[in-house]
Amino acid sequence: MFNLFSLSWRNIWRHRGRSLLSAGAVGFAVFFTLVYLSFLGSMENGMYNNLTESVGHLQVRVAGYREKREFRDLLISHAEEVEAQLARAQTGAEIVVALEVPALIAGENRSRGVLLIGDRRPADLRQKFAQQYLAEGQLPAAGDPLGIALGTSLAKALRVKLGEAVYVYAPGTEGRGAAAYRLVGLLKFPDSGLEARSAFVSLAAAQELAAPGSATRIELHFPFTRYSQDAQLTALQPRLAASLGQNLALETWRQANPAIAQILQLLTPLVLIFAGIFFGLAGLLVVNTIYLSLLERTREFGVIVALGAGPAKVTRMVLLESLLLCGAGAIIGGALGLLLVTSLSGGFSLGALYGQTSLSVFGLPETIYLSLRPADILITLAFALATGLLAAWWPARVAARLEPVEAMRFAA
Amino acid sequence: MNPVLSVKNLSKTYKVDSVETPALRGVNLEVRRGEFTALAGPSGSGKSTLLHLMGGLDQPSSGEVWLEGSRIDRLSKAQLADLRLWNIGFVFQAYNLIPVLSALENAAFVLELRGETPSERESKASKALETLGMLEYARRRPNQLSGGQQQRVAVARALAAEPKIILADEPTANLDSKTGLALIEHMRRLNREQGVTFLFSTHDPRLLERVDRIVRLEDGQIVA
Repeated sequence: MFNLFSLSWRNIWRHRGRSLLSAGAVGFAVFFTLVYLSFLGSMENGMYNNLTESVGHLQVRVAGYREKREFRDLLISHAEEVEAQLARAQTGAEIVVALEVPALIAGENRSRGVLLIGDRRPADLRQKFAQQYLAEGQLPAAGDPLGIALGTSLAKALRVKLGEAVYVYAPGTEGRGAAAYRLVGLLKFPDSGLEARSAFVSLAAAQELAAPGSATRIELHFPFTRYSQDAQLTALQPRLAASLGQNLALETWRQANPAIAQILQLLTPLVLIFAGIFFGLAGLLVVNTIYLSLLERTREFGVIVALGAGPAKVTRMVLLESLLLCGAGAIIGGALGLLLVTSLSGGFSLGALYGQTSLSVFGLPETIYLSLRPADILITLAFALATGLLAAWWPARVAARLEPVEAMRFAA
Repeated sequence: MNPVLSVKNLSKTYKVDSVETPALRGVNLEVRRGEFTALAGPSGSGKSTLLHLMGGLDQPSSGEVWLEGSRIDRLSKAQLADLRLWNIGFVFQAYNLIPVLSALENAAFVLELRGETPSERESKASKALETLGMLEYARRRPNQLSGGQQQRVAVARALAAEPKIILADEPTANLDSKTGLALIEHMRRLNREQGVTFLFSTHDPRLLERVDRIVRLEDGQIVA
């Protein structure tokens, strides 16, 4: 025996082509939204991880460092003490200590201005760094006073090869001011600018060259892998900052990279706007289908009203047809979307994009691993539901106001 | 015995582009339980209008409509719908079955609107179809039935809901004379055997021979 649900289902297939088109449009919107949410969610996480791997989730710097121009003003002179203090806070974060020295670097007969970065990082972060950026050779070992790694393009400009000598000058600093290193590794960065002006040594080597016992940056790396985990920093930052005193500033990665942080914040609203546009267009098709169906069945609705269906029941019947139409589309679009997301959950390369654009500057991950959060599915279903309800609103209103005698005289 | 349905001094005037056309003029009529009454009269005499007003499908310009002692002409749209659902059965000239439903489902449609259980609906609708000799066509859709069969399903739809009165607007107008007479015979049998009250309009003189009472309308007034 039928019920209003099965009656509505049969009614929406009375015009198969029209209903398929509308359901298809909703299905496409659901598919697009699911895949896009998944893609951007994965990209968000990838960008977040890339960025926080390179600058840390939190960073200690000299207060007001952006306004300071002199190298000596940027120095955290008691770096080990600060490092120990951060370690005692037991945040669960790994600590990287870095000293960035503006310097002149020279091969046998060429020179360039560079930023010499000496850092000391835990083994796992060091390994990640090497995996991502090391093109040839190795990174200078921790405490190595002689080894240096250069960006590949910088080495090319200096015309130096692995094993050859490189000379660095950092005049006017508190260290030795000049040192000779041996090129042990070549690095490749997505940012060509960084590759052309970066040189990496151990923290000890950089301190010996320019500022014994000092650092310019102390990074805290938390074991977060998802952008959504970042909220935990909000509570931690003020507590740690207070313990460091007024001379030091504790910045989140957002504060350190405001432009990229803003891009990350824009991703989700952007996809929701796009989804809204797609669902809006799909909704217009659904309105068209439901309204035409109502118009063609005016006489039938008149009979239904005459037999005793009140305005509320007629409204429910129209809403049900619209929701079923959108639901059918959502199920098909959702299934296809989930299939695609699942099939790409093992990761796919954005290499082609890297080659053609400068998006890599914004820390885009090279490989995207698609995955869906429950919230993504809920948001998409909410869009489909809202489309079904809004699209039926006007036709339902028209149907509920039908006068049975007039409607039964109507000839479609 | 109190009338099932009655109208007092009922008038209806249609207004199109400021031109007023009276359809009913001061009609008084009572229909009692178990009656088999025909509204007769030429086209345009006001038969359909009177049936619509008595069935709560339209609002009168003036006058009163009473259903078993309750005045119904001032009820809201939703209240009228509810009143029709529980009290009045309708049979229309053009059958007006729902094309996506089978004969059985059409017969059960009003019961579905009432929210009765599937088993109740099936049992009552099957019984109504059986009474009208349509049970063997229960699974067929309207487009697989002849006009006469469709109209019998429409009567079954009204009958299954066990209303206080069935109002039928020219139920045989779209049928050939033989099928029309057969349908009236079915309705007559229901009236005699089950006491179902019928009020129907017709302008077919052959059908009038089979009714208890004939109410003749001319120019919106009862003339006999």
